[in-house]
Amino acid sequence: MTLCANCGVELDDGLNICPLCGRDPLDNSEKNNHPSVNTPEVMQLHKKETRKFLWELNGIIAFSGIAVCTIVDLITNKSLNWSLYSGISVLTAWIILTLVLFTSKWSLIMVSALMITILSALYLIDLLSGGQEWFFPVALPITVSAFLVTGIVMIIYKYARLKGLNVVASGLIVLSGLLIIIEMTLDNYLKGIVDLRWSLIAAVSIFAVTLLLFFYHYRMKKGNSLDSFFHV
Amino acid sequence: MPDKADNINSLKEKGWLKLDNAAKLFPAIISKDLTSVFRITASLKEPVKYTAIRDAVQITSRRFPYFNVSLGSGFFWHFLEFTDQQPRIQSDEKIPCSVFEVKRKNEPLYRVIVKGKRISAEFIHILTDGGGALEYLKSLLYTYLTLTGRNISSPGEIILPGTPISNEEFEDGYLKHFRKLPPPSKLVKAWHLPFKLNQRPRLKVLRAEVKTHEIIELTRKLKVSVTEYFVAVYHFALQKIFISSSSKKRKKINRVLRIEVPVNMRKKFPSRTMRNFSLFVLPEIDLRLGTYTFEEILHSVHHQLQISSDIKQISRFMSSNVSYEKLVFIRILPLFIKKIAMAAVYRGLASKRFSGLVTNLGMVTLPDQMNEMIDSFEIIPPPQNSKVKVGSGLISFKDKLRICFSNITQSNELERHILKHLSDSGIHVKILKND
Repeated sequence: MTLCANCGVELDDGLNICPLCGRDPLDNSEKNNHPSVNTPEVMQLHKKETRKFLWELNGIIAFSGIAVCTIVDLITNKSLNWSLYSGISVLTAWIILTLVLFTSKWSLIMVSALMITILSALYLIDLLSGGQEWFFPVALPITVSAFLVTGIVMIIYKYARLKGLNVVASGLIVLSGLLIIIEMTLDNYLKGIVDLRWSLIAAVSIFAVTLLLFFYHYRMKKGNSLDSFFHV
Repeated sequence: MPDKADNINSLKEKGWLKLDNAAKLFPAIISKDLTSVFRITASLKEPVKYTAIRDAVQITSRRFPYFNVSLGSGFFWHFLEFTDQQPRIQSDEKIPCSVFEVKRKNEPLYRVIVKGKRISAEFIHILTDGGGALEYLKSLLYTYLTLTGRNISSPGEIILPGTPISNEEFEDGYLKHFRKLPPPSKLVKAWHLPFKLNQRPRLKVLRAEVKTHEIIELTRKLKVSVTEYFVAVYHFALQKIFISSSSKKRKKINRVLRIEVPVNMRKKFPSRTMRNFSLFVLPEIDLRLGTYTFEEILHSVHHQLQISSDIKQISRFMSSNVSYEKLVFIRILPLFIKKIAMAAVYRGLASKRFSGLVTNLGMVTLPDQMNEMIDSFEIIPPPQNSKVKVGSGLISFKDKLRICFSNITQSNELERHILKHLSDSGIHVKILKND
């Protein structure tokens, strides 16, 4: 018979860890501070190491790639030409990965930083390809809108009590908003006037689908019928 | 029997239950401070065996399917969804009566807490009241003791695992016994303790033990019940604090001391429901008329409790509560509006109508073979709101009557006055350590 020094409960033979407090039943030292083997601190350290390893590995691959492209471009063209594009793209991908690895706890900071990174990359590419033609009228509004849409979906996901088709449906609704913004931006850039067509058709179609998704979400929720949801 | 079994199965197949009339308020007001969670505890004479209690919880929870539910939100009302998950079994390390994450889907809204020789069950009031919780705990103890090798030949009225589940156990007693009656008279706001609240987590519990035979002898001499006597002591203590408080805090309009005393309606109506089925009586003393001696208070409380717990009088509260639920224009209001309205009514009126709480579950009786293994019972009432601040729970088992005060303030003056009064009346009071 073993008595847990912390909980005081009697444990059966063979139970080396108290299932209630997760501690060694015989160890009453540092009763309230002694972490058990599965405490978050231990797990965090492990995750941190994994993240750092991934980041270092990707850094080596990315910068090796940039170096190889630059050298090949210099040898073949005697100047920096296409390697600038590939360099910006690979660098952007590496920064994105870094942000995802190290700022995922703070989703708002992560999304904002990702948006700034992508906008900076697009701006640089626009600059390299002839100088500020499409970045401000097209890339900037579409990118910002896309991130806003992503942010809205993330918020819905975070606060939804039951995550299922309702999140998908909400995502589709904000996506239809994004499509309208894209058509407006492109129309304005290409024709000079806004004439909404395909985005409206898409939005109406999406709306019908979302109604179906919401319906199925609440109907299929834990196998219940709608009478629980709508009982008066 | 097959009919009943079929009905239970159809209820389970339906997958959900309506909240009972009393439960409807709680989802609107629950917070980290106002958890609406109470704890009922049995202390054994030997340390609890983990494997046995784990198995006992599994077996017992199957016999109480109406507790194996989580809270769902509908468009008009909340509802209870059956879940296959077992209640949590955890060590007693946190503050008692802590909040349930009602948003955590699939998790039953009760938990079993084990420490040393104690087995506790914590229930959110959405599920049941003290009466229902006590039946569950008795059944759990029976199963646990059986699993640890005790032979309990005549379990008496304990609900045994594996026995047929009656439809009546699921029912909403308020709706079943509702009949339209004139509403009870309106109450003026009560006076409240002037103490500062604790830092979070606010709840502190003070546990005391008295000899049951001593208090029964005393109350017999005074020709009152234990509840009446304790409510009178509580009133007397409140009056002392009222008199000693600064004149600023003695608001002229709130000079009524009123104590909420839950009444188990299962004893008034023929009901076997395991869900909420209790109402309140509200004995009061009006300090606008002057101060009172203890004898005067006891006399008044005795008669008030006798009159107000009469079935006709108490049915008026039931009628009033259920009538609101039955109004069509209230029923069709979306849930979020109902929640705002209920929280506002609670904050504005309901929470201010009494100064203290005394809940007495009475004497627990068990078969002899179980009596030998159990030392005592306790009930910790839910943390009270920021007006009422302190509540007390009484329960007796054999010669031990346990009194638990749940207090969210920095002062234990009320407890001191109450326990000193008991002690001065010749009752030996032992304060118990919170281990």
